[in-house]
Amino acid sequence: MDSLALIREFLQNRLGVLPELVVAEARLTELGIDSLMMLELMFEFEDRFGITLAKGLKSPKTVGEMVVLMDRLRSEQS
Amino acid sequence: MNQRRRVAVTGLGLISPFGGDLNDFFRRLLAGESAVSFLRTDDVPRPLAVPFVHCPFFDAEATLGRPLMGMMDRFTQLGTAAAFSAWEDAGFTRGQPPKERENWGVSWGTALGGVLAYEKGYRELWQNGRPRVAPLSVILGMNNAANAHISIQLGLGGVSMTHTVACASSSIAIGEAFRRVRSGEAPVMLTGGSESPQAYGVVRAWEALRILASGDELSAPHACRPFSTDRSGLVLGEGGAALVLEDWAHAQARGAKIYAEIVGYGATSDHSHLVRPEADGQRRAMQTALADGGLSIDEIDYVNAHGTATPEGDSVEVAALIEVFGALASRLPVSATKSMHGHQLGAAGAIEAIITVLSLQQQAIPPTAHLQEVEPACLGVDHVTSARRGLPLRAALSNSFAFGGSNAVLAFRAVAH
Repeated sequence: MDSLALIREFLQNRLGVLPELVVAEARLTELGIDSLMMLELMFEFEDRFGITLAKGLKSPKTVGEMVVLMDRLRSEQS
Repeated sequence: MNQRRRVAVTGLGLISPFGGDLNDFFRRLLAGESAVSFLRTDDVPRPLAVPFVHCPFFDAEATLGRPLMGMMDRFTQLGTAAAFSAWEDAGFTRGQPPKERENWGVSWGTALGGVLAYEKGYRELWQNGRPRVAPLSVILGMNNAANAHISIQLGLGGVSMTHTVACASSSIAIGEAFRRVRSGEAPVMLTGGSESPQAYGVVRAWEALRILASGDELSAPHACRPFSTDRSGLVLGEGGAALVLEDWAHAQARGAKIYAEIVGYGATSDHSHLVRPEADGQRRAMQTALADGGLSIDEIDYVNAHGTATPEGDSVEVAALIEVFGALASRLPVSATKSMHGHQLGAAGAIEAIITVLSLQQQAIPPTAHLQEVEPACLGVDHVTSARRGLPLRAALSNSFAFGGSNAVLAFRAVAH
């Protein structure tokens, strides 16, 4: 599963957000990702990809930034 | 601020284990219908297998929406849904500008809070071998989650609190809410309680106390038999119930329907033993509620008993009633509706407060179900064993007596029509 697919699946399951709304330029807050949901999303990401995110990680603002971050962390891992 | 206000009950909301609305719930109680069924879990190797009261028709997603539902443990889902229902019943809308609601508050009750969230965490860690639990566990599990969500959803800026006093939790929550409205601190308080005690460890703990009623698929519906010679204990249940308490003048000014008036509240401690109830502490709670409400014993036409169907509790409660009502006790209508809706622990007081309010409003008393033969130690009051209708009910009490020796009694008056 790629990073965007994971974000889409998470948003659909947890918040009922339609996948077609989850595009690169969409702001995470507007999709319903507050600080708590961000923690849950990061938890899910760590679980799925076996990655541990650093504590001080800067939170991405858009779906696109989130995807870039996730992709980078995954490539560093492998 | 110092002048006492009259306090109206202007909204009621309840998640019915029968699945219908409030009227359906009360009608079924009048008919003596039991909501108790048999719970069997798929836990390996030892499933839970006990009589229990579920709310199987409660659709959290339809009522709350998926994002909100996902932020809540089951007790908060049940509580918030009940609060929404009471709010709507009172004629208030959600999402209004909260300016005028800055001192409106929430006073909630739960005994166990989000115990299911923590249990899920334990299962992940110990059963599923996972190294950690979900980040939302804390906000799902905290005991004040329900009142917090309710304040946010209804836009209420006043006090937002939860009382945890075992089986008296929501009666104390209602009593404390009542005081705030009566004193003029808050024109409106949303109050009640919710509980979801079906956690594996919780049910096992109650079993260990040897006070859960026994039963199987066939006998579960009549497993809870308060005051009966053959009673065998209490039946746990999940539930949520909410009331809107409102300054009488405020309610009248907006033309709200008024179900009943809440007039008195008495809270005491037995100060003697953790689980052995004392008639004296209960007597003082009832007498405090009566005095607080300016009621004399001959005005009380119904008592909704705590009546959990434990061998010890029921007879002590009857002894306390006899002490309070003296010569009038033998003609005092008393029923224990837990025989039908079970014991929702921290939500029981709110459910029974609603039943008491509806009794006054509809002038009808629901029975103690399955009561064929009253145990001699429980004799001395007028046990209601089938519904009584068309009676002039002027005022009523609702009793809640908790482990720990905490007693809470609420007093209500009927509205003259």
